[in-house]
Amino acid sequence: MDWTALGLSLQLGSVTVLLLIPAALFAGRALAYRRFHGKSLVEALLAVPLVLPPTVIGYYLLVCLGGQSLIGGWFERVAGHPLVFHFSGLVVASIVVNIPFAVQPIQRAFEAISGEVRDAAACCGMSFWRTLWSVELPLAWPGVLTGLVLTFAHTLGEFGVVLMVGGSIPGQTKTVAIAIYDRVQAFQFDAAGRMSLLLLLFSVTGLALAGALSRRLGRRYGLPEL
Amino acid sequence: MDCPNSEFRMTVSQRLPIALDAALACDGGQLLALVGPSGSGKSTLLRMIAGLAQPAAGRIVCGDSVWFDAERNLCLSPQQRRIGHVPQHFGLFPHMSALDNVMAGLHHLGRGQRRRRAEEWLERVHLSGLDERRPAQLSGGEQQRVAVARALARDPAVLLLDEPFSAVDSATREGLYLELAELKQQLSIPVIMVTHDLGEALLLADRMTLLAHGRTLQSGTSRQVMAAPIDEDAARQVGIRNVFDGEILRHDPAAQLTWLRAGPHTLACRQRREFAPGARVRWVIPDSGVRLRSIVHDNLADRSNRLDVTVRALLTLGDEVQVTTVMDGIDAPLRTRIPARLVAGLGLAPQVRTTVVLHQDALHLLGGSDGSDRAGDRQFSDCTRVGPSASHRQGEAREPSGGCS
Amino acid sequence: MPDDGSGFFNGRADRVKRLLCALSCVATVLVSGRAHAEAPVVAAAADLQFALEELAQSFHQQTGQEVRLTFGSSGTFATQIRSGAPFELFLSADEEYATTLHAEGLTRDEGVLYAIGRVAIVAVLASPLAIDAELKGLAARLARGELVHFAIANPEHAPYGRRAEEVLKRAGLWEAIQPKLVLGENVSQAAQFATSGTAEGGIVALSLAMSPQMTKFSHYAVIPADWHTPLRQRMVLLKRAGETAQAFYRYLQQPAARAVLRRYGFTLPGEAD
Repeated sequence: MDWTALGLSLQLGSVTVLLLIPAALFAGRALAYRRFHGKSLVEALLAVPLVLPPTVIGYYLLVCLGGQSLIGGWFERVAGHPLVFHFSGLVVASIVVNIPFAVQPIQRAFEAISGEVRDAAACCGMSFWRTLWSVELPLAWPGVLTGLVLTFAHTLGEFGVVLMVGGSIPGQTKTVAIAIYDRVQAFQFDAAGRMSLLLLLFSVTGLALAGALSRRLGRRYGLPEL
Repeated sequence: MDCPNSEFRMTVSQRLPIALDAALACDGGQLLALVGPSGSGKSTLLRMIAGLAQPAAGRIVCGDSVWFDAERNLCLSPQQRRIGHVPQHFGLFPHMSALDNVMAGLHHLGRGQRRRRAEEWLERVHLSGLDERRPAQLSGGEQQRVAVARALARDPAVLLLDEPFSAVDSATREGLYLELAELKQQLSIPVIMVTHDLGEALLLADRMTLLAHGRTLQSGTSRQVMAAPIDEDAARQVGIRNVFDGEILRHDPAAQLTWLRAGPHTLACRQRREFAPGARVRWVIPDSGVRLRSIVHDNLADRSNRLDVTVRALLTLGDEVQVTTVMDGIDAPLRTRIPARLVAGLGLAPQVRTTVVLHQDALHLLGGSDGSDRAGDRQFSDCTRVGPSASHRQGEAREPSGGCS
Repeated sequence: MPDDGSGFFNGRADRVKRLLCALSCVATVLVSGRAHAEAPVVAAAADLQFALEELAQSFHQQTGQEVRLTFGSSGTFATQIRSGAPFELFLSADEEYATTLHAEGLTRDEGVLYAIGRVAIVAVLASPLAIDAELKGLAARLARGELVHFAIANPEHAPYGRRAEEVLKRAGLWEAIQPKLVLGENVSQAAQFATSGTAEGGIVALSLAMSPQMTKFSHYAVIPADWHTPLRQRMVLLKRAGETAQAFYRYLQQPAARAVLRRYGFTLPGEAD
C-alpha cells in the first residue's frame, strides 16, 4: 500500500478542484447566459479533452510546458525547477484535462435556472454578485457539486497525462494510479489489488454521495435532475 | 399643463430582432392593459419597460426620470429603475420561503425594516401565516400574491404584470380579479398589465392599448376602444367580426345622424362629419349591437335600423347560440348571439326569414378620428410627443449610465 | 456577503459544504509545502526491478540513507532527462544512452559499467510453449501455427527489446513472429505479459526471469551471449546529483553489491562469464 502515492493523488485531486471549480463557475455561467460569436467553437474547444487520447494531451502539454517552451522556461526561472516532472506540472495538466468535467455540469446547472427567476432577481434590484450568491449559486449548487466530484474522481484515475508530464517520481508525481501500474510490473499483485480496490470504493462512494445530495437538493427546489 | 409626477410614457421602435413600433402612456393610479394575440410583442415591450431588453430606438420616461433614450445612448439597468415586475409564472425564488422572497427585493433597507415591510405586505395580500412556506408548497394563486407582494414592497415607480392570470386556474382567477381591483385602488403608481384576454382587460383596465405585430393600433379607455375601433385590425382584435362596405349619403346635423347606404339598405349612425358624402367607408357593428327584431320593443324603433335577413346557421356555444344571418343584398354575414333558451321560442332555423335591428350607437365607421388616438392619448399630448422621433423636453437624465445590463 | 438567509451556506446541505471547504483549505496548505524529505530519485532500467530494490534496502540498512527508485525503459528515461527530469542517478541497460547524455553535457562524467546483462526465454510452468536455450521449441510451435502471442520489450526504446529482436533474427524467426509479438513498454512489462497469460512466453532480462518473484510460477532458459550484441549496462551521475546519490553510486560498485548483482544473473565487467 503506497500511502505516499495515495496522498499525492488526493492532494492532486483537491488542488485541481480548488483551482478549477471557481474558474469553471464563471466560465459555465458565461456560457449559459451569454450569446456571442464563436460560442459553439468555444464550447467545442472546452470539450476537446473528452475526446482526445490522454497521450495526445500529454504530448502537447510537454511541448507547451517543457523546459524548452516559453511557459516552462519562465516557470523554471521563477520557481527554480521545471514545471514538468513536478507536482505543479501535474496540477496544470490535471486542470486542462478536467475542464469539460467541471464546466459542463456547471453550465447545465446555470442553464436550468429559469429565465424568469433571473429576470426577477434583476427587477428586485439585485446586483450581479448578490444575484450570484443568493439566487444562482444555491440553485446551481447540485451541478457545481457534480462537477466537483467528477473532477476529483477523474483526477484520481488520470494515468496517461500524469505519466507523460510527470514521469513517475516517487513522492512528487507518482500518483496512486501510476503506483498500481508500477506494482503490477513488479509482480506485486496484492499491493496493486489493494490500491485498486481502495480507488474503486473511493470513486463509487463519492459519486453516490454526490448523486444523492444533488437529488435531495433538486427535490427541495423542484429542479430537474442533472 | 402640469404633468403629474407618476406618469409613464414610452415610445419605441426597432426592426430586429422583432419589429416594433409602439407607444404607451399610463397615469399614476391607473391600470393600462396591453392587449394583443401571442406574438404581438407585448411581453417584449414589458421587458423593455423593465430594462430587461433594450429597444433600438425610442424613449421611456417614468415620472421625472428618463429610463431609456436612444438618442442620448442612455439605458438604465433594471436595478437602476424602480420596477415592480410580476412575470407570467411568477418568477419566485424556489429555494427561499415566501417571506424571504419578499425580502429579496428590499436590500436597500435596513435589516429590521426589511422584515417588517415584508411581513406587512404579505398580510396585505392575505398571506400571513404562510411566511415560511416555499413556492413549491404554495398554490398558483398564493404564488401570484407573493410575487405581487415582492414587487410592491419595493415601493416601485411602476408595477408590471405579465399575463398575471394565465398560469392560474379559472376558479382562483375570479378571486384574484377582485383582489387586484382592490389593490389597484390603493396604489398611486401606474400599473401596466399585459394580457391576451379581452375580457380580463375590460374587467380591470382603465385604459387599453391594442397591439398587433408589434404595432400599437389604438389606445384609449376600454369603452372607447371596444366601441370605436380605429381600423379593421383593431376591430378584429376586439372581437368584432361584422364588417361591411358602405357609402356615405348625407349628414343630418339636427338629429346628429349620418346616413349611409349599405347594399340596398339605408342605415343611420352617430354623426361623423369627417366623412364626406359619397365617400366609401367600411363599417362595423359588434354582436351586441345586433338584435333580433322579435325581442326588441317597438318603442325603440326610432333609434334603430331595421333590416330583413335570412338565417343561415345556428351554432350552440354553451349557454348561447351564435346566429349567422345574411342581409338582403349584402354578401358578408351578420352575426349575433342570443341566449340558448330563446332560440326555440323565436322559431329560428336555417332559411327562416326574420328582421334584425342595428343600434345606431353601436354602428361604427372605421377610419377618421373619434376621440381615441392611434398611439397615445390626446389628453396627454401636451406632455409628450408621440412617435419614434422622440422629444427632447420631457424629463432630464438623472444618472448617465451605460447600457441596460 | 449578504445575510438574507438565502445564501450559499444556508440550508441543510451547508454542513457538507463547510466540510468540503475545510478540506480544500487543508489541501491548499499542503500544496506549497510539497517538499518531500528529498531522498534522491534514481532512474533505473526495468531489468533491475528486483536487484536494485534489494540493493537500496541494504544501502539504507548500512548507511541510514534513503533513495527513491523509479523503473522504466532506458530510452524513455534518457528522453525525460533531456526534458529536465529531476533524477540524480541513471542506471541504463545500454551504455549508449549514458554516453549520449554525457556528450550532451547532462552528466557529471561518463559513468561506469556496472553489469553485463543477459537475456532469457521465459514462460509460465503451465504454458504450452516448450522453452530451450536455442529457441527450438519456439520455432516448432511457430511453424505449426499454434503460437498466439509472444512478448518482448519495445525495441524502439528498450535495450532488452532490441536484444530480443537480434536473438529472434539470429534464430530466423523474426519475420514469422512479427504478427504475434506483444510489446512491453519496458522489459518488466514484457515479463509481466509473458507470465500473466497475455502471451505464451517471452524474451526478457535474465535478472527478471531468475528472480524469486518469477521463478515461483515460471521457468526460463538462458540464451547464448553471442546471439546478440552485449548488454553493457552503464550508470551515470547526473549534474544535480547530491551527496546521497553519490554515496549510492559508490555503494553499487562495492563487492557486496556486486555479489547481489551476480546472484541475479548479471556478469560483472572485468570478470569472466
